[in-house]
Amino acid sequence: MKGKNRLDEMQEQKLLKIEHVGVWIAFWGLFAAIVIQMITGGAGALLQIAGEITVFMLLAFYLLVACIKNGIWDRKLVPSLKTHLLISLAGGLATGVINFAASYHNYGKLYGSVAAGIFTMGFTFVLTLLALSFAASLYRRRASALEDSENENDRDKN
Amino acid sequence: MTRNIKIKVARVQLDMTQKDLALAVGVSRQTINAIEQGEYNPTIKLCRAICKVLGKSLDELFWEEENEDER
Repeated sequence: MKGKNRLDEMQEQKLLKIEHVGVWIAFWGLFAAIVIQMITGGAGALLQIAGEITVFMLLAFYLLVACIKNGIWDRKLVPSLKTHLLISLAGGLATGVINFAASYHNYGKLYGSVAAGIFTMGFTFVLTLLALSFAASLYRRRASALEDSENENDRDKN
Repeated sequence: MTRNIKIKVARVQLDMTQKDLALAVGVSRQTINAIEQGEYNPTIKLCRAICKVLGKSLDELFWEEENEDER
Protein backbone atom coordinates (compact mmCIF):
# COMPACT_ATOMS: atom_id res chain seq x y z
CA MET A 1 0.00 0.00 0.00
CA LYS A 2 1.40 3.37 -1.00
CA GLY A 3 0.89 5.64 2.02
CA LYS A 4 0.95 9.40 2.12
CA ASN A 5 4.33 10.98 2.86
CA ARG A 6 4.07 12.35 6.38
CA LEU A 7 7.30 14.32 6.18
CA ASP A 8 7.60 17.93 5.10
CA GLU A 9 10.40 19.10 2.81
CA MET A 10 12.94 19.83 5.55
CA GLN A 11 12.31 16.49 7.26
CA GLU A 12 12.54 14.78 3.86
CA GLN A 13 15.94 16.39 3.26
CA LYS A 14 17.12 15.37 6.72
CA LEU A 15 15.93 11.79 6.13
CA LEU A 16 17.77 11.73 2.80
CA LYS A 17 20.95 12.85 4.58
CA ILE A 18 20.47 10.16 7.24
CA GLU A 19 19.92 7.52 4.54
CA HIS A 20 22.95 8.84 2.65
CA VAL A 21 25.16 8.34 5.71
CA GLY A 22 23.54 4.93 6.31
CA VAL A 23 24.32 3.77 2.78
CA TRP A 24 27.99 4.73 3.10
CA ILE A 25 28.24 3.06 6.51
CA ALA A 26 26.75 -0.11 4.94
CA PHE A 27 29.06 0.20 1.91
CA TRP A 28 32.32 0.61 3.83
CA GLY A 29 31.16 -1.75 6.59
CA LEU A 30 30.56 -4.49 4.03
CA PHE A 31 33.88 -3.70 2.38
CA ALA A 32 35.70 -3.98 5.71
CA ALA A 33 33.87 -7.23 6.56
CA ILE A 34 34.82 -8.72 3.19
CA VAL A 35 38.48 -7.71 3.54
CA ILE A 36 38.77 -9.00 7.12
CA GLN A 37 37.09 -12.30 6.26
CA MET A 38 39.23 -12.73 3.16
CA ILE A 39 42.38 -12.32 5.23
CA THR A 40 41.31 -14.41 8.21
CA GLY A 41 38.79 -16.79 6.70
CA GLY A 42 41.14 -19.40 5.30
CA ALA A 43 41.03 -21.10 1.90
CA GLY A 44 37.23 -21.35 1.69
CA ALA A 45 36.66 -17.70 2.64
CA LEU A 46 35.22 -16.69 -0.72
CA LEU A 47 32.32 -19.12 -0.37
CA GLN A 48 31.62 -17.94 3.16
CA ILE A 49 31.43 -14.29 2.15
CA ALA A 50 29.52 -14.82 -1.10
CA GLY A 51 26.45 -13.14 0.44
CA GLU A 52 28.37 -10.04 1.54
CA ILE A 53 30.07 -9.78 -1.86
CA THR A 54 26.71 -10.07 -3.66
CA VAL A 55 25.13 -7.29 -1.57
CA PHE A 56 28.25 -5.13 -1.91
CA MET A 57 28.34 -5.56 -5.69
CA LEU A 58 24.60 -4.88 -6.00
CA LEU A 59 25.02 -1.68 -3.99
CA ALA A 60 28.04 -0.60 -6.05
CA PHE A 61 26.28 -1.46 -9.31
CA TYR A 62 23.15 0.46 -8.31
CA LEU A 63 25.20 3.55 -7.38
CA LEU A 64 27.12 3.37 -10.66
CA VAL A 65 24.05 2.93 -12.88
CA ALA A 66 22.02 5.59 -11.04
CA CYS A 67 24.86 8.12 -11.24
CA ILE A 68 25.54 7.53 -14.93
CA LYS A 69 21.82 7.66 -15.74
CA ASN A 70 21.65 11.08 -14.11
CA GLY A 71 24.87 12.33 -15.73
CA ILE A 72 26.77 12.46 -12.43
CA TRP A 73 30.41 11.39 -12.06
CA ASP A 74 31.75 12.65 -8.74
CA ARG A 75 31.58 15.72 -6.50
CA LYS A 76 35.24 16.57 -6.90
CA LEU A 77 36.95 14.26 -9.38
CA VAL A 78 36.73 14.68 -13.14
CA PRO A 79 36.93 11.65 -15.43
CA SER A 80 40.42 11.89 -16.94
CA LEU A 81 43.16 9.39 -17.69
CA LYS A 82 45.26 10.79 -14.84
CA THR A 83 42.55 10.24 -12.20
CA HIS A 84 41.72 6.82 -13.69
CA LEU A 85 45.37 5.81 -13.44
CA LEU A 86 45.65 7.05 -9.85
CA ILE A 87 42.43 5.33 -8.73
CA SER A 88 43.37 2.11 -10.53
CA LEU A 89 46.80 2.19 -8.93
CA ALA A 90 45.30 2.73 -5.47
CA GLY A 91 42.77 -0.08 -6.06
CA GLY A 92 45.48 -2.38 -7.42
CA LEU A 93 47.80 -1.68 -4.49
CA ALA A 94 45.03 -2.24 -1.94
CA THR A 95 43.94 -5.49 -3.58
CA GLY A 96 47.55 -6.65 -3.88
CA VAL A 97 48.23 -6.00 -0.19
CA ILE A 98 44.96 -7.68 0.88
CA ASN A 99 45.63 -10.69 -1.32
CA PHE A 100 49.22 -10.94 -0.11
CA ALA A 101 48.02 -10.82 3.52
CA ALA A 102 45.27 -13.39 2.87
CA SER A 103 47.62 -15.71 1.01
CA TYR A 104 50.38 -15.45 3.62
CA HIS A 105 47.86 -15.95 6.45
CA ASN A 106 46.35 -19.01 4.76
CA TYR A 107 49.43 -20.73 3.35
CA GLY A 108 52.41 -19.13 5.12
CA LYS A 109 54.58 -19.06 1.97
CA LEU A 110 56.30 -15.68 1.55
CA TYR A 111 57.39 -15.86 -2.11
CA GLY A 112 54.11 -17.40 -3.24
CA SER A 113 52.20 -14.74 -1.34
CA VAL A 114 54.28 -11.93 -2.85
CA ALA A 115 53.67 -13.37 -6.32
CA ALA A 116 49.94 -13.64 -5.61
CA GLY A 117 49.93 -10.04 -4.35
CA ILE A 118 51.80 -8.72 -7.41
CA PHE A 119 49.62 -10.70 -9.81
CA THR A 120 46.34 -9.46 -8.28
CA MET A 121 47.72 -5.93 -8.07
CA GLY A 122 48.49 -5.87 -11.79
CA PHE A 123 45.29 -7.64 -12.71
CA THR A 124 43.14 -5.31 -10.59
CA PHE A 125 44.99 -2.25 -11.92
CA VAL A 126 44.23 -3.18 -15.54
CA LEU A 127 40.67 -4.26 -14.81
CA THR A 128 39.90 -1.10 -12.80
CA LEU A 129 41.41 1.09 -15.51
CA LEU A 130 39.27 -0.60 -18.16
CA ALA A 131 36.13 -0.42 -16.00
CA LEU A 132 36.71 3.25 -15.18
CA SER A 133 37.38 4.14 -18.83
CA PHE A 134 34.24 2.31 -19.91
CA ALA A 135 32.11 3.93 -17.19
CA ALA A 136 33.56 7.36 -18.02
CA SER A 137 32.69 6.96 -21.69
CA LEU A 138 29.12 5.99 -20.74
CA TYR A 139 28.97 8.97 -18.38
CA ARG A 140 30.21 11.40 -21.06
CA ARG A 141 27.66 10.12 -23.54
CA ARG A 142 24.84 10.37 -21.00
CA ALA A 143 25.89 13.83 -19.71
CA SER A 144 26.09 15.16 -23.25
CA ALA A 145 22.66 13.66 -24.11
CA LEU A 146 21.15 15.28 -21.01
CA GLU A 147 22.76 18.63 -21.84
CA ASP A 148 21.47 18.49 -25.41
CA SER A 149 17.94 17.55 -24.33
CA GLU A 150 17.89 20.42 -21.82
CA ASN A 151 19.03 22.84 -24.54
CA GLU A 152 16.30 21.54 -26.83
CA ASN A 153 13.69 22.16 -24.11
CA ASP A 154 14.95 25.72 -23.69
CA ARG A 155 14.65 26.26 -27.44
CA ASP A 156 11.11 24.89 -27.41
CA LYS A 157 10.09 27.35 -24.75
CA ASN A 158 11.61 30.38 -26.56
CA MET B 1 22.59 31.84 6.74
CA THR B 2 21.10 34.86 8.46
CA ARG B 3 17.96 34.81 10.57
CA ASN B 4 14.75 35.66 8.77
CA ILE B 5 13.22 38.29 11.03
CA LYS B 6 10.81 39.41 8.29
CA ILE B 7 8.80 36.20 8.47
CA LYS B 8 8.60 36.41 12.24
CA VAL B 9 7.43 40.05 12.09
CA ALA B 10 4.82 39.30 9.41
CA ARG B 11 3.62 36.29 11.37
CA VAL B 12 3.31 38.21 14.65
CA GLN B 13 1.47 41.03 12.86
CA LEU B 14 -1.18 38.47 11.90
CA ASP B 15 -1.14 37.13 15.46
CA MET B 16 0.01 33.73 14.27
CA THR B 17 2.21 31.31 16.15
CA GLN B 18 4.83 29.19 14.40
CA LYS B 19 2.42 26.27 14.80
CA ASP B 20 -0.40 28.25 13.08
CA LEU B 21 1.83 29.14 10.15
CA ALA B 22 3.13 25.57 9.94
CA LEU B 23 -0.41 24.21 9.79
CA ALA B 24 -1.42 26.78 7.18
CA VAL B 25 1.42 25.89 4.82
CA GLY B 26 1.45 22.16 5.59
CA VAL B 27 4.83 21.72 7.26
CA SER B 28 6.03 21.02 10.80
CA ARG B 29 6.62 23.75 13.38
CA GLN B 30 10.29 22.82 13.50
CA THR B 31 10.58 23.64 9.79
CA ILE B 32 9.09 27.14 10.31
CA ASN B 33 11.41 27.61 13.28
CA ALA B 34 14.42 26.51 11.20
CA ILE B 35 13.47 28.97 8.42
CA GLU B 36 13.12 31.84 10.91
CA GLN B 37 16.43 30.92 12.52
CA GLY B 38 18.10 30.81 9.11
CA GLU B 39 18.96 27.14 9.55
CA TYR B 40 16.95 25.87 6.60
CA ASN B 41 16.67 27.22 3.06
CA PRO B 42 13.09 26.49 1.92
CA THR B 43 12.12 25.55 -1.62
CA ILE B 44 10.47 28.17 -3.80
CA LYS B 45 7.21 26.23 -3.43
CA LEU B 46 7.25 26.62 0.36
CA CYS B 47 8.41 30.27 0.10
CA ARG B 48 5.38 31.00 -2.06
CA ALA B 49 3.04 29.20 0.34
CA ILE B 50 4.40 31.22 3.27
CA CYS B 51 4.06 34.48 1.29
CA LYS B 52 0.45 33.62 0.40
CA VAL B 53 -0.51 32.92 4.02
CA LEU B 54 1.26 36.01 5.38
CA GLY B 55 0.00 38.26 2.56
CA LYS B 56 3.48 39.37 1.54
CA SER B 57 5.54 39.15 -1.64
CA LEU B 58 8.62 36.98 -2.09
CA ASP B 59 10.78 40.10 -2.11
CA GLU B 60 9.30 41.35 1.14
CA LEU B 61 9.98 38.10 3.01
CA PHE B 62 12.96 36.51 1.34
CA TRP B 63 15.00 39.17 -0.42
CA GLU B 64 18.24 39.80 1.40
CA GLU B 65 20.08 43.08 1.07
CA GLU B 66 23.84 42.63 0.63
CA ASN B 67 24.67 44.15 4.02
CA GLU B 68 22.25 41.67 5.70
CA ASP B 69 24.64 38.83 4.86
CA GLU B 70 27.45 40.53 6.75
CA ARG B 71 25.47 40.71 10.00
